[in-house]
Amino acid sequence: MIVYLAITAAVAALAIACLFAEEKPTRQATAAMVVVPLLLRLFLIK
Amino acid sequence: MGSELLVLLVMVGVFAAACFALKWPVSVAMLLASVAGALAGGQGLPIRHLVEGSFGYVDTILTIATAMVFMNGVRASGALEALSVAAIRRFHRRPALLLVLLTLVAMFPGMITGSSSASVLTAGAVVAPVLLLLGLPGEDAAALIAMAGILGMIAPPVNIPAMIIGGGIDMPYVGFELPLLLLTMPLAVASALWFGYRHARRTDREKVLAALDAEALDRYGMRLFLPVILVVALMVLDKALPRVFNLGMPLIFALGAAATAFAGRRFDPFKAAKEAMDQALPVLGILVGVGMFIQVMTLTGVRGLIVVSALSVPPALLYAAIAVTMPLFGAVSAFGAASVLGVPFLLALLDKDQIVTASALSLIAALGDFMPPTALSAIFAAQVVGLDGYGKTLKKLVLPSLAVVAWALAFIVFSKQIRAMY
Amino acid sequence: MKRRYATAILFLALALAAGAVAGASFLSMREPEPIARGPGVSEIRKLSDWFPGLAGGPGDTEVYVLRGEAPGGSMLVLGGTHPNEPAGFLAAVLLVENARVSSGALYVIPRANASAFTHNDPQEAAPQRLHIRTPWGERVFRYGSRATNPLHQWPDPDVYIHASSGQRLSGNETRNLNRGYPGRPDGKLTERVCYGITQLIRKEAVGIAIDLHEASPEYPVNMAVVAHPRAMPVASQVVMGLEMEDIAMRLEPSPVNLRGLTHRELGDHTETLAVLMESPNASQGRLRGRTDEALALTGKDGWYVKAQKLGRLFVPYGEKGHPIEERVGRHLAGIAEFAAAFTREYPDRPLGIEGMPSFEELGEGGLGAFLRRP
Repeated sequence: MIVYLAITAAVAALAIACLFAEEKPTRQATAAMVVVPLLLRLFLIK
Repeated sequence: MGSELLVLLVMVGVFAAACFALKWPVSVAMLLASVAGALAGGQGLPIRHLVEGSFGYVDTILTIATAMVFMNGVRASGALEALSVAAIRRFHRRPALLLVLLTLVAMFPGMITGSSSASVLTAGAVVAPVLLLLGLPGEDAAALIAMAGILGMIAPPVNIPAMIIGGGIDMPYVGFELPLLLLTMPLAVASALWFGYRHARRTDREKVLAALDAEALDRYGMRLFLPVILVVALMVLDKALPRVFNLGMPLIFALGAAATAFAGRRFDPFKAAKEAMDQALPVLGILVGVGMFIQVMTLTGVRGLIVVSALSVPPALLYAAIAVTMPLFGAVSAFGAASVLGVPFLLALLDKDQIVTASALSLIAALGDFMPPTALSAIFAAQVVGLDGYGKTLKKLVLPSLAVVAWALAFIVFSKQIRAMY
Repeated sequence: MKRRYATAILFLALALAAGAVAGASFLSMREPEPIARGPGVSEIRKLSDWFPGLAGGPGDTEVYVLRGEAPGGSMLVLGGTHPNEPAGFLAAVLLVENARVSSGALYVIPRANASAFTHNDPQEAAPQRLHIRTPWGERVFRYGSRATNPLHQWPDPDVYIHASSGQRLSGNETRNLNRGYPGRPDGKLTERVCYGITQLIRKEAVGIAIDLHEASPEYPVNMAVVAHPRAMPVASQVVMGLEMEDIAMRLEPSPVNLRGLTHRELGDHTETLAVLMESPNASQGRLRGRTDEALALTGKDGWYVKAQKLGRLFVPYGEKGHPIEERVGRHLAGIAEFAAAFTREYPDRPLGIEGMPSFEELGEGGLGAFLRRP
């Protein structure tokens, strides 16, 4: 479980990094969509 | 009950407008269609439902993201090109055998993990350069890899759509190995030859052999392949000794990714990981969007409309309904098609052999992975081959897919006779 | 350059805001609904009293013990094995709040899978709560998930291998309480809860265990009692008894090749008579239309009526649906018949249970008439 939370954290961090590196707003929106479930899982909310 | 049809039309309309007219990404179009569907269904802006729906794919998102990071590491370390050099050196005199072997290699991760995306992204990426060297045009190579991905997903030992369909009628996943092998292996051989042989036959393979860049292979040798071997070994151990290992795909890919940093050419692992995420994000976004879409379809009753309409056809047309609606629902999700439509169809076919029928339904559901806009298998296959879009790959897949549907329907029609054979 | 960061921050803020709104809604599911202590309740214990490995964790759950003055047999009722099957949970709540035991002992676990009450299944669009009006106000009950909360048991394996039989099922069944029996003390949370329930049955020498469920109307085993072979003589009396009350109930033998379920494993691994009851619930079905609280409470659904006309269902389905009063009433009537049949079959271990609302009383007064103020 802890290992998987670490993987979730890494993927969420990469997604946020991509969100800031993207030029196109629609692609930024895509990254933002992906971030939501990852963060809620990471913080043990859902 | 008419209101559900209205909601469906709104959802499809908004999706089409955003995706095709505005050229927005599928993920964003799905989000907008879900919001519009909820509004049209009188549900307001159900943020809880939108977010909850996306959780259906959290594990898949982790698998795809880690698989992409792993494959980017494999490529950056030089292992991919080295593998093709080694394969061509060994088998260049027997192209038909090589093609079939490559197809089986491309299926392997799917057989073990039950995920066509994992298969295409890993083994698909490994065989892609070899197929190109053998003279296959990019679209044919991508189509073969995509087909191998879904055949791998359906082939035993792990077939998740069959488990989902079986679970819906409380049928354990027992005794599926043989029918699934009968179902998939002939198709695998046929696909290898159909997509590959006519091109590979005409290629001057001696010339290809001479032109290969063997620098990485000669410099690092077998060490290059250690991350790939590690991942394959862990996948097999995970399945063979589940009580000891039980690592799961994301962790296996994460370990493999870490290993790529030490296997061959040096590269910046953070940059490679970010690049991988950049490539994966459109698909991850689609999964999140699809999750929302299905949740809103369920919330508003559109799911009931689709399922009951599919079941309302006269018995004679039931097979046609299966052939059309299951791959079509795959536009949203192949696993969704197995769960939402596969279970009711199996219940409508209770007079058939249940195991053979569920196996065949799982194959038809898997074809949904070719159906745009999600088309996970086709998108990834085009990506690993290095094509810009996946449209031409899809065209190549139309005829073979029809053949697959016909083959699967034949299994349903003759399920009892097939069962009697073994 | 600047504009890019501005939009990135905007999208991230929107994502966080959506996450916060949804997160607050998800967190609200963790607060358990109160259950009133009925006149017959002798003590309220925890499942961890029988298996300390569950203490303080998300799998621990209340066990209501109702003891009679006279000695006798004992019965265990499991509600909330699947918290998306509300009639099972609500029948157990009504039992706790109304039943009195004259002889023997009644153990009731209303929330058998307590963890599964704390979340909803993605893509099922389930309502989070059911509101039931009573003469004195409103009672609220959670409508949960079929499976343990992934926050308490994650990740799922690709394939779930049932520990004692080696049977393979889809990976998400790892979190299905009714696939994990007899359970393992060192297994995953779901298996440990199974083990706790198995231990309760062993240590208390429970004579008969009834697992309350609901099934989708297109599922072949419905309006049915599923019984372990040793429970068949009692179960067949129950089905006949219900027939006399005009409650149609089928009797199904527990399949030998389907492992991990109460009616199979509790019967095989303990001395108890293991049975399971199903009532028809549209809100968990695949053919349902709009999914909301009203559907869960009334069962009224146009698509199911249409599917019934197409011959696709295994239960009768009309415009009136299958309201929660009817479904809870079926369960309570079944429990009453089981107590009577058990007493006839084992007269040295009588089970005297009174005070349960009857099928007719529930139909007339609704659930609210029998729900107490907690």
